[in-house]
Amino acid sequence: MSLRYLLQRLATLLLVLFGVSILTFAIIPLVPGSPARVTLGVQATDASVAALEHKMGLDRPLPVQYWSWLSGIVFHGDFGTSLISGKPITEQVAHRLPATLALALAALLIGLLIALPSGILSALKPGSARDLGVSVMSQIGVSIPDFWLGILLILLFAQILHWLPSSGYEPVSQGLGAYLRHIVLPAVTAGVISGSIMARFVRSAMLEVLGNDYVRTARAKGLAEQRVIAKHVLRNAAITVVTIIGLQMATLLSSVVVVEIIFSWPGLGSMALTATLQRDYPVLQASVLLFAASFAVINLITDLSYVLLDPSLEYA
Amino acid sequence: MKRLILTVGVLATMAALSLGFAQKSGGTLIAAWAQDPVGLDPQIASARSSLEVLENVVDKLVALDPQGKVIPSLATSWEVSSDGLTWTFHLRHDVKFSNGRPMTAQDVVYTYTRMLDPATGSGQKYLLGSTQSVTAPDDYTVQFHLKTPNVALVAHLAAQASVGIIAKESVDNGTINTQPIGTGPFMITNYQPGSELILKKNPYYWQQGLPYLNEVDIKIITDESVRQTALISGDVDWAISVPPQSLGQLQNDPNLVVDKTSAGAYWYIGVNLKNQYLKNPKVREAINYAINRKDITDAMSFGTGVPTQDPIPSSSAWAYDYAPYSYDPAKAKQLLAEAGYPDGFRMQIMPTTQYAQSVRGAQVIQQELGQVGIKVTIKNLEWAQWLQEEGKGNYDTYVCSWNGLVDPYDFFYAQQRTGQVFNFTGYSNPQVDKLLDEGNVTQGFAQRKAIYQQVNKMVVDDAPYIYLYNPANIQVYQTYVKGYAARPDQNIDFVKTWLDK
Repeated sequence: MSLRYLLQRLATLLLVLFGVSILTFAIIPLVPGSPARVTLGVQATDASVAALEHKMGLDRPLPVQYWSWLSGIVFHGDFGTSLISGKPITEQVAHRLPATLALALAALLIGLLIALPSGILSALKPGSARDLGVSVMSQIGVSIPDFWLGILLILLFAQILHWLPSSGYEPVSQGLGAYLRHIVLPAVTAGVISGSIMARFVRSAMLEVLGNDYVRTARAKGLAEQRVIAKHVLRNAAITVVTIIGLQMATLLSSVVVVEIIFSWPGLGSMALTATLQRDYPVLQASVLLFAASFAVINLITDLSYVLLDPSLEYA
Repeated sequence: MKRLILTVGVLATMAALSLGFAQKSGGTLIAAWAQDPVGLDPQIASARSSLEVLENVVDKLVALDPQGKVIPSLATSWEVSSDGLTWTFHLRHDVKFSNGRPMTAQDVVYTYTRMLDPATGSGQKYLLGSTQSVTAPDDYTVQFHLKTPNVALVAHLAAQASVGIIAKESVDNGTINTQPIGTGPFMITNYQPGSELILKKNPYYWQQGLPYLNEVDIKIITDESVRQTALISGDVDWAISVPPQSLGQLQNDPNLVVDKTSAGAYWYIGVNLKNQYLKNPKVREAINYAINRKDITDAMSFGTGVPTQDPIPSSSAWAYDYAPYSYDPAKAKQLLAEAGYPDGFRMQIMPTTQYAQSVRGAQVIQQELGQVGIKVTIKNLEWAQWLQEEGKGNYDTYVCSWNGLVDPYDFFYAQQRTGQVFNFTGYSNPQVDKLLDEGNVTQGFAQRKAIYQQVNKMVVDDAPYIYLYNPANIQVYQTYVKGYAARPDQNIDFVKTWLDK
């Protein structure tokens, strides 16, 4: 793993982000609707819309708007202010980042607790009742609509049993108990679905490796089955599994919007959705950039992890 | 005898004192809002979710009592000149903003001058009517100088937070849209868009002893079934709205109060009078006979609304029940044939995903109009796009509502008068214009009512708007929440709310 490779990857990342930002900036204003009209509602007159759009800086030529936005980020680290709420976007992102990360990690953890055991165990006895059971369960898990599962859990645990709160996020500073009680249901909702998706990949990755010659050789050498699994199979299946974990993590950071809405979870996904619906251009730009960056970074981490898992791999 | 008088006196005093001591000060009300505010600048924000917050942060010169009568607030008295062109308001001397600064007439002048300034981009300045300028002859007197007389001005100055008095400081330091400074019972201390807004008690509030609450913690719970669960499980104390189909269940819950009142609002079909078919009055008449308002109301409001052919709800003193139409598909078909469309025609209806009831209504209307030969396609748009299309006139018909209406002017003027700001249908009837202008300058309840009744009749006959129903305003809260009442003007008012626990 050379430094040059790393720098190359980082340079590519910046290029990708730059391209994404230009594309978003060009496309978004094409969508009908304006944040001025959203603010004024049905009581919009052409004059007040024009006045507000001027205040929002939307009557400047696009390249001027783009440069003003870009230079704010590059030179001041400032993502600008929301056209709708007037709040600084950096502050909004900072507020939502801990909640988003917490939910993504918790959901991923629950997902792995589901996916790893079930995927591995079913792969070890393909075609068995156990395998069928896992297949059916993961099929159900993948097909369940997240809003249905979320509302069901809320009804059961909040309304009927009164064990857990119905919605909301509590930061750890408010007490670990409150934090955990609020994160359980949304994490389970997102985690069950994520885990069901990952289980199938774990299973197929395991099956693929189990069919390889070196596994037969290891068994022929007389190694204990457990050792075969642990030393050869898991290690090699790990690459595929790590890939899918990376993709799931990226999804959990940006695309669990429905879970965020149901549980009133202050995540970045729902921030992006609201910004889209309200035509809050700077918030939307910032969200897209953040998601693109997170995908790219996770990608990079995943690629780097391959080297740890398989020393025969080399990056020039 | 002396003994008797003394006893009665003591008992009376004790009774009076105990009434005064019933309310408990302190505590935090956890309130569930349905939607995120869309900006908090009182003069620009139009979303109900914004105004509902701001009502507790700013005060107006005058206010409305629960029956809709104008009462003093920041102004103790007012008078209008004999020519109707100058309104003079006398202000209280003891009002302070939440930052401690005393409020004077200059603040009122500043607020309304900003509102009238086109550069501000206020969509609410129509509330000031024909006001050209606002001046302050002294520190506690404000004068509105009108171009033409406007009887509804004082009602509008009481209507909603848009005409609340703000402190210049919040505009100067750029926080007017996030943390406006007003003289209201609460002030905004923390706002996280999309999740939470914290209101804390204004330590300088001019009404002694009020508010009782220390804090209102507004949680934005957009999913209505989750909001309902939050109420039932006790996670929130108060909810701004609940799924109307659950009212029966909630009414049976001994821990909850269902507070229902009729709202100064109406749902309607807006008709584009430039459309080649809809510009024919017989066609609009036919539509009025083709729809079943009761079915539409049930589908849209789950039975909580009141079907109507007129905009003003029957609970208002200004109500006028003019109902020339009935559900009569045969008559509708006959009228269409007379208009030259025996086989009907094609038309679009535009509800919005923002309001699920508009979509349900559109579906029923589509079905009912189909029965008389009008083939309706539904163009269901998300809010921002809907606003764009409605503003530009790119629709045949749309389904929407007007809310927070009090004075009869509110129900007709800006929407139906030729060339007025919210006349999106293109309606123009010189007789209606004349009557509306007259209603603007006529004093006296009976005379004004007569004028607006004529307007009502003409508008219902001409049908640029096809009125559907008057909705109810329903809030649900725990039984220990006292001192709150749902209001017909749909304002959310926590000033006298307290927690009995």
